[in-house]
Amino acid sequence: MINVLYLDDEEHNLTSFRAAFRRDFTVFVTTEPSEALSILKDHPIEVVISDQKMPSISGVEFFELIMPDYPNPVRMLLTGHADIDAVIDAINKGRIYKYISKPWNEAELRKLVEEASYLYKTRTESEAQATDYSIKLYSSQEKLAVLSKDLASCDELSVDSRKAYSQRIDELIEMLEVPKML
Amino acid sequence: MISIIRQFHFIIIVFSIIAFSNNAFSQKYLGLEIELLELTDANVTALTPNELFDDVWVKPNVSVPNLGNSNTWIWARLNLDPVKDAGLHVEIAYATIDSLQVFMVCDGVTISDQLVGVNNTNNRNRLNIGNYPSFLIPSIDCSNLTCYIRAWSGKQLLLPVRIVSSEKILSDGHVRDVLFAIYLGIVMSLLLYNLFLFFSVKDKNYLHYVLFIIAIGGTQLVLNGYDRVFHLVSIPWISLRMTHIFGILGGVLTILFSRNFLHLKKNAPFYDKLFGLLYIPYFVATLLLVLGFYNTSYDLINFSALSIIILIPASIKVWRSGDVSAGYFLVGWSVFIIAVVIFALKDFGIIPYNEATIYALPMGSAIELVVLSLALGSRINQLKKDSELAKEKELNTSLLNEKIQREQNVKLEQNVEERTSELTKTNASLSETLQNLRSTQEQLIQSEKLASIGQLTAGIAHELNNPINYVSSSAVSLKRDFIDVKEILSLIVNLDPNSESLKESIESVKSKLLELDISFTVSEIDELLEGVEDGAQRTAEIVRGLRIFSRMDGNQEIKANINELLSSTLIILRSNLKHVVDVDVDLSENLPDINCQPGKLNQVFMNIITNAAHATTDTDLKRSERSVKVSTRVVTTDNVEVIQVEISDNGVGMSKETQAQIFIPFFTTKEVGKGTGLGLSIVQGILEDHDAKVEISSTMGEGTIFILSFPT
Repeated sequence: MINVLYLDDEEHNLTSFRAAFRRDFTVFVTTEPSEALSILKDHPIEVVISDQKMPSISGVEFFELIMPDYPNPVRMLLTGHADIDAVIDAINKGRIYKYISKPWNEAELRKLVEEASYLYKTRTESEAQATDYSIKLYSSQEKLAVLSKDLASCDELSVDSRKAYSQRIDELIEMLEVPKML
Repeated sequence: MISIIRQFHFIIIVFSIIAFSNNAFSQKYLGLEIELLELTDANVTALTPNELFDDVWVKPNVSVPNLGNSNTWIWARLNLDPVKDAGLHVEIAYATIDSLQVFMVCDGVTISDQLVGVNNTNNRNRLNIGNYPSFLIPSIDCSNLTCYIRAWSGKQLLLPVRIVSSEKILSDGHVRDVLFAIYLGIVMSLLLYNLFLFFSVKDKNYLHYVLFIIAIGGTQLVLNGYDRVFHLVSIPWISLRMTHIFGILGGVLTILFSRNFLHLKKNAPFYDKLFGLLYIPYFVATLLLVLGFYNTSYDLINFSALSIIILIPASIKVWRSGDVSAGYFLVGWSVFIIAVVIFALKDFGIIPYNEATIYALPMGSAIELVVLSLALGSRINQLKKDSELAKEKELNTSLLNEKIQREQNVKLEQNVEERTSELTKTNASLSETLQNLRSTQEQLIQSEKLASIGQLTAGIAHELNNPINYVSSSAVSLKRDFIDVKEILSLIVNLDPNSESLKESIESVKSKLLELDISFTVSEIDELLEGVEDGAQRTAEIVRGLRIFSRMDGNQEIKANINELLSSTLIILRSNLKHVVDVDVDLSENLPDINCQPGKLNQVFMNIITNAAHATTDTDLKRSERSVKVSTRVVTTDNVEVIQVEISDNGVGMSKETQAQIFIPFFTTKEVGKGTGLGLSIVQGILEDHDAKVEISSTMGEGTIFILSFPT
């Protein structure tokens, strides 16, 4: 089940959200931004939904706050009414995926959450793959380095050919550097 | 000019008749028989004939010896026939001899010694008639009877001597008197006539002329010895100088009269200056006269008098320039000059010395005076004509002026009309501008209103969307929850107590309960219902608040409670202020309703509260430290009850300068585009409509307090 976090200062919104989506997703709701942070920390949240107008912090500000530590969860802004400035900020500063206005359409919102979750998965999978590849590359480099050492102590080969092999290995190590940089 | 000549004909004819037709004037003077003493040092001081030594006697060989003008005593002698001449008189027909002494010497013995002259007015002559001195030749028996004449004069001295009978003296004297009387009559009538004219016309020319007549007449009076006849002057000092005085007066007045009459200053400035210079010799002559230099003075007077010749070219010049009266003037003076020339020629023996030539001067002067009178008369006519011309010219000028003025009036009226139309246009454009301004102002106020409405809509949309959101969402969720509940219920309803499988059925219901987590569903239903209830309530509250607030455009005064208005305003503002500040509200419970325009007051409250909230955001304060307080209370001061609304904040505050300007339209401290600057000016207008007072106290960095006092 998709882990969804919903932050809103209005308790009743939280109740109705949970009632609507508890059967489809694992729903986490709270009125407090601080609690929202701890939920993010404790659970692998895939989709974060926040109200824009809250007394202590705006939705955009909340997204800005969590982005450095939790860049992967897909962000969506849910608000009763927002002026154009708030929308611009949400896109540029809050890097939101979708903007949803209240009152929400349940089916639509469900679809959006699922799409967001798919995006999250793609994002995290490609990241994992990248990590996997880089590990493999690193080990290849290490093996090549060992080979290069072995080659240096091999007397059966002529000095010239040893040099040529060694050069070839260095080139390979160098080539493998590039994806490592990624 | 012809008329002038015609007038002269008569005068000339009269003059000619007097001069030549009267036998009485063909006199015989004894100049050829008279002997004059040649003066020597020895006899210059002689007082009697006996004191004369080495005397040489000379015959002058003229009928009337002219002894010139010298300051010496002269001696003359005449041998008389003691028989024939006895009882006759020696007459010296010359009136201006100042001292005349006649000795009758019979065979070397002085038998009579008579003195006449200024110093001896009492003993003028025996007969005491006429204007010439005469001396009786005594009847005495002697072989040689000689008449010695000793004479002195401060002026010209002539010796026209006759031996005549007393009858002849008398008759000649009468003739002279009559002639002189005629002359005097002419002079007097001219004098009075011109004096009268002077008083009626007030032309100073006449006064000059009158004085001139006096001078001329006086001169003739003195020259003919009538001053002495009439004993006009009894003081010898003046008597001696009478001739000179009148000569000077005549000259000076001639200059004065001529200059003014001919308008020399204007018509002939050169002659004017020349005449001006002539005063100098007359002044010198006067000085000499006073000092006793009679003869020098007399010479100077005569010399200056010659200058009257200048009058001829001067008057010709003026006459030519078109002045008819100058023609008369010219004629008058010409006649006089001719008379003077005749008179002078006679003195030098060039023409005969007789009564006619003697009378040339008074004659000439009389004619001159008459002609000059005519000149003045013509001057009057000319002046009259001139003045008529001037009047006509003036009339023409005034007519022209009137015409010009009329034209100018028309022009002026045109100008005024043009100006008026310009002004009307300007006025029209001004009122148009004013209207534009007004409509702009209205538009601005409207846009200010729209801005606040926009702000409100945003807030209200948010406020309404939240409850609507969870009410509608809850409805869907509730439906789903009830499906679960219904499923359980149908299971329970279908339970058959008589069935063998009851136990199993119950078990399946139980498992279904667990499967559907019905206990959670039930509690959720409660929560959702609570939300629905709450949402409905909130929506109703907002709608009510909106209803109160939306009376914005209503200008009608109705009874309303300020607390209610404040509450509705705060509901509308809630979502806008939610993330800005918490508003503390402290409303007095027993606030009376007041007559007001609620919509407008809401605008006031919204404006001030929004400003207060914004003021707190411009500080470094965190949201929890910011504060906006709204409170109401009833205050009674001096038995007057007012409702006070206090709105305070702990925001940035205002400087004194800002405080002074906040109610000025378009004044704003916000950035361009963020505010119209009209908010508070509208607020002030609304508060004035409600007779409400505003007190503001603000300190920079500490906050602002608005206190609005409404009369109850």
